[in-house]
Amino acid sequence: MEERLYDLIFICRPATPEEDVNKVVATLEHSATEHGGKVDKVERWGTRRLAYRVAKHREGFYVYMVVRGTQADMIKELERRLKVADPVIKYQTIRLDEELKRQSKLARHRERRAGRRPRKPAAAPQTPPAAEQAAPAN
Amino acid sequence: MTDQPKNEPPAAPEAAPPASPQRSEGRPSGPPRREGGYGGGGQRREGGPPGGGSGGPGGPRRGKRQFFRKKKVCRFCVEHVDFIDYKKAELLQAFVQDRGKILPRRMTGTCSRHQRWLGEAIKRARNIALMPFATEL
Repeated sequence: MEERLYDLIFICRPATPEEDVNKVVATLEHSATEHGGKVDKVERWGTRRLAYRVAKHREGFYVYMVVRGTQADMIKELERRLKVADPVIKYQTIRLDEELKRQSKLARHRERRAGRRPRKPAAAPQTPPAAEQAAPAN
Repeated sequence: MTDQPKNEPPAAPEAAPPASPQRSEGRPSGPPRREGGYGGGGQRREGGPPGGGSGGPGGPRRGKRQFFRKKKVCRFCVEHVDFIDYKKAELLQAFVQDRGKILPRRMTGTCSRHQRWLGEAIKRARNIALMPFATEL
């Protein structure tokens, strides 16, 4: 199976000591590698204001991770761990690889079109100039 | 929900009297043509019963009123955005109302594809408390 890429965000209680957050991150990393995955990136966004109350808290400590792996169990296990972890009040996993694939495909497509455009200005004068005029107008 | 016929009297408050003499039987049940009425809010409420009978939905078309509005361009298309990141809550904040509702395309000028991605991104951001579902006042 091909490799999948996930965004994993979780929110800890604002009063959590730093080492507890580190512990959660460490367990996640550990169980990810156990399931043949890998944690690419860990970002601590710090304490942010929540847009709405979560578990009676108005603020939360955000941690953002990028995880890649091939086994579907990995995410299951990670989410289970987050669910039982005491300081964590909310988490979200999002699969990203397909969107990134789409993104690179679109970028490639545009590149190809941009490379083709100057070659035939007389053949199709309708659409490409209009598109080009629209861009600098704003 | 079930008051389809009862819906009629309030649906056309000013559509009945003028009755548009020049095109009385032009198209009684045609689709409401929009003439640049972006973002106005009111005025566009006449879509209720399609075969309305007496007045017809095409009533108050006076012909003289014409709005010229600048054509809106999709901001994401201009900047060649291929992926709308749900983590950039400040960016997404521009596309919701004060109360947190997602703004329609006709207000923001976003193209359909980007509006789709935008909606998805906003919903993801909401889910992880980066954006509000609805702000309490």
